[in-house]
Amino acid sequence: MHPTPGDTLDALNNPYDLRPWLGQYGKHIAVELPAPTHASLPQMMVAAAHRYADQTAFTTVMPNGMYGSLSYRQVNEKSDEFARYLRQVLGLHAGDRVAIQMPNCLSYPVVLLGVLKAGCVAVNTNPLYTATEMAHQFKDSGAKVVVVVDMFADKLQEALPKTDVKHVVITKVPEFFPALVGGVVHAVMKHWSNLVPKHSVQATSLPEALAKGRAAAKSGGPAVADWWQPLKHDTLALLQYTGGTTGVAKGAMLTHGNLLWNVAQMRAMCASHLEDGREVVLTALPLYHIFAFTVNFLCMFEAGARNVLVPSPRPIQNLQRAIENYKITWITGVNTLYNALLGEEWFSAFPPKHLKAAGGGGASMHGAVVERFEAMTGAPLVEGYGLTESSPVVCFQPLNVPRQKESIGIPAPMTDVRLIDDAGALVAVGQPGELIVRGPQLMQGYWQRPEATAEVMKDGWLHTGDVAVMDEKGTFKIVDRKKDMILVSGFNVYPNEIEEALSRHEGVLEAAVIGVPDGKTGEAVRAYVVKRDEALTAEALQAHCRALLTGYKLPARIEFRDELPKTAVGKILRRELRTAVLSAGAASHNTSNKG
Amino acid sequence: MLSETETKLLGVMMMVIMLGMGASLTFKDFAIALRKPLGIIIGMVCQYGLMPLLAFLLATALALPPAYAIGLILMGCMPGGTTSNIFAYFSKGTLSLSILMTMSSTLLAIVMVPLTLGFYSSGIEGNWLIPRENVIQILFVLLVPTVIGIALRKWNSNVGAMVEMLGGLLGVLVILFLVVSWVPRNWQLLLDTGFPVYAASVGLGLCGFVLGYGLSRLLRQDSRRSRTIALETGIQNGPLAVLIVLLSFQGSQQQEVLLIPVLYSLFIVISSSFVTMWFRKLTTREEMARDQAKIGALAKA
Repeated sequence: MHPTPGDTLDALNNPYDLRPWLGQYGKHIAVELPAPTHASLPQMMVAAAHRYADQTAFTTVMPNGMYGSLSYRQVNEKSDEFARYLRQVLGLHAGDRVAIQMPNCLSYPVVLLGVLKAGCVAVNTNPLYTATEMAHQFKDSGAKVVVVVDMFADKLQEALPKTDVKHVVITKVPEFFPALVGGVVHAVMKHWSNLVPKHSVQATSLPEALAKGRAAAKSGGPAVADWWQPLKHDTLALLQYTGGTTGVAKGAMLTHGNLLWNVAQMRAMCASHLEDGREVVLTALPLYHIFAFTVNFLCMFEAGARNVLVPSPRPIQNLQRAIENYKITWITGVNTLYNALLGEEWFSAFPPKHLKAAGGGGASMHGAVVERFEAMTGAPLVEGYGLTESSPVVCFQPLNVPRQKESIGIPAPMTDVRLIDDAGALVAVGQPGELIVRGPQLMQGYWQRPEATAEVMKDGWLHTGDVAVMDEKGTFKIVDRKKDMILVSGFNVYPNEIEEALSRHEGVLEAAVIGVPDGKTGEAVRAYVVKRDEALTAEALQAHCRALLTGYKLPARIEFRDELPKTAVGKILRRELRTAVLSAGAASHNTSNKG
Repeated sequence: MLSETETKLLGVMMMVIMLGMGASLTFKDFAIALRKPLGIIIGMVCQYGLMPLLAFLLATALALPPAYAIGLILMGCMPGGTTSNIFAYFSKGTLSLSILMTMSSTLLAIVMVPLTLGFYSSGIEGNWLIPRENVIQILFVLLVPTVIGIALRKWNSNVGAMVEMLGGLLGVLVILFLVVSWVPRNWQLLLDTGFPVYAASVGLGLCGFVLGYGLSRLLRQDSRRSRTIALETGIQNGPLAVLIVLLSFQGSQQQEVLLIPVLYSLFIVISSSFVTMWFRKLTTREEMARDQAKIGALAKA
């Protein structure tokens, strides 16, 4: 047997295997979960579709309030048609990859469920990708079919020759809207906002594809269930690409079992605030991202919720009509989204009355944002932690007991978490160490990249690269990304702590902190700040920081910006800021050499 | 002069326009606007303080005969035109402020129009006066579709948004309809009309832009909001004035009073288009300057 990290220590010195967090589970969170009874995602979703057949499953809301909806029954029927199109018309086989590239819209659930029912593997793709990124992802995954939104078909055209894609299906944001309304939305997007570029991709429209699927059903062939019934827990369901900002993107292989387990774990964590068939969830985060995919899409579908989809949360005003017109009971988001909402008058004047809970993840939530959001809405905003590689949920703050705020909470049921040092030894309670995790939600590895897999998956433990501490009650707190740590005169400085301190100032909208090379201290702390209050000065902010932080943690320089670089889900890209500094530094260095 | 059918058609179109305007806003939008009422208050001061006074001063300075004077003063007392929202959109102005101003001035019209109209036209000969009951009645009739519009929006946002678009479209069509149906039939009249009438018709809108902008800047509104208020102030509800004239006068008298409201409606589209292009350029330049500042900050880093 392989030694696992920490096996060299005896049980008394292994505080993690005692699972101290179980004491916080309370009466609502189950300690032990049975293995998911459904064999596959389609089985789970078809069961939900029968249970809630006539309820509204999805509603897409445009910024002006125009909307379209699909019931559970409609999603079920249309996804059957799409599955038939893939298998009977295009001749795809079980396990073939189908890429899905669209913002939140009604086509997403139809296509995704259709792909899974066909026994195929879905490849979630960020529609904002450049042609080069698209080409890499389609080539790497070996996708045979791409379902793309018309807004990005021109970039697809550029990428296609470099891929093995055989068929393209095109959809539009107002797909499945009432005809007149959909026509108007499409016309406005195309002719007024110029969002639908011209392209010459040979493609089938989604309605045509569904019609062909219906025709195929009439001409015979197997039942759709014959394709998904053989699927098991260890069948691959999803290739979820990750790591695009650190280098080449890798596809995390998530199985039906991984995702079913994570759905069960998440539902267990939320049990006290989740009423089956009664919830209305606002989905402003993109469904192609693993957080919204599992939490908003899969969990909420099984729970019979109505999903209110917003195609783009930027500008944040796009959420106004969605929040006004529907009795939203759940919201998920990232720190930047909640922060933006708090700055909107329409939100602070009329916060959602029916809100039961809000979930935050993707990047660490700032205490000040959580406090203000909870005061404004009266609902808890709980923070979670996860990775693409873990389907994604690892930890969440519990909803039903007094919780440790400014933490990532406690591990979900059936999940083990340990903290280790660079040598792989367990660190003591209260000491920072790299977070490693084990549980049924962990991916099978990276698609066709055994070396990359071996780097992060060791003896069943996923090494996350995040540095965390655990307290005696088993609550975890992320200190920072291992590689974002700043070394100032030999002291470790974690950017999160400095950003949090900066954000506590009333005049700060958001902040990003990075380390830059420094002649005297090795690295120095530099802060980039977006002002909420125009009158804010660097001096005032420095004084504010001096009251909260020790000397070596203070920003050596504060720069004001109109905005900060962010990922598709709104995570601040520190890397981009650092690259700009380093390349500018190199440039000025070159100039001085020449001079 | 417009025929009976055309008058009725105009009335129906006005109702649809008002329905559309009502559907463009929710009660919550109002409640939010009233929390920071300064922008709206400035707008209303411009609408019912500056514009009627301006119309009166122009009529006096240009020594307009009673028929034209009453047309001009009526024009000045009108609430904001719904087309202003389209211009606000194209000029990259603050669209929400524009919609709110139009809506507020329309709702206030039932009180403010009879009041200002009565005050500024009191010096005009009796048979040229517009009966107060007429004005109130028309405004009240138009208030009904506005309220129905608000209710439609609340009932179903798809229907609301469609009605809003339809109303906006009709707003432009009505002006085209006026121009096409009125100008060719009154070609000779246009040739015979002297400079003062043209000066008044064009000047009301242009001076409205300048005064609206000046007052907003004076009261510390930023330049983008001030430009929005400027457009909103200058653009009056021309078709509404035409409708009031049609329902208050007959025969040749009607034709004479109608001249300035029709000319105003015609010229305001032209001058607003130019002003919009100019404002758009200004806003774009400001945005570019901000971008430039960002690039500068990056280079410095």
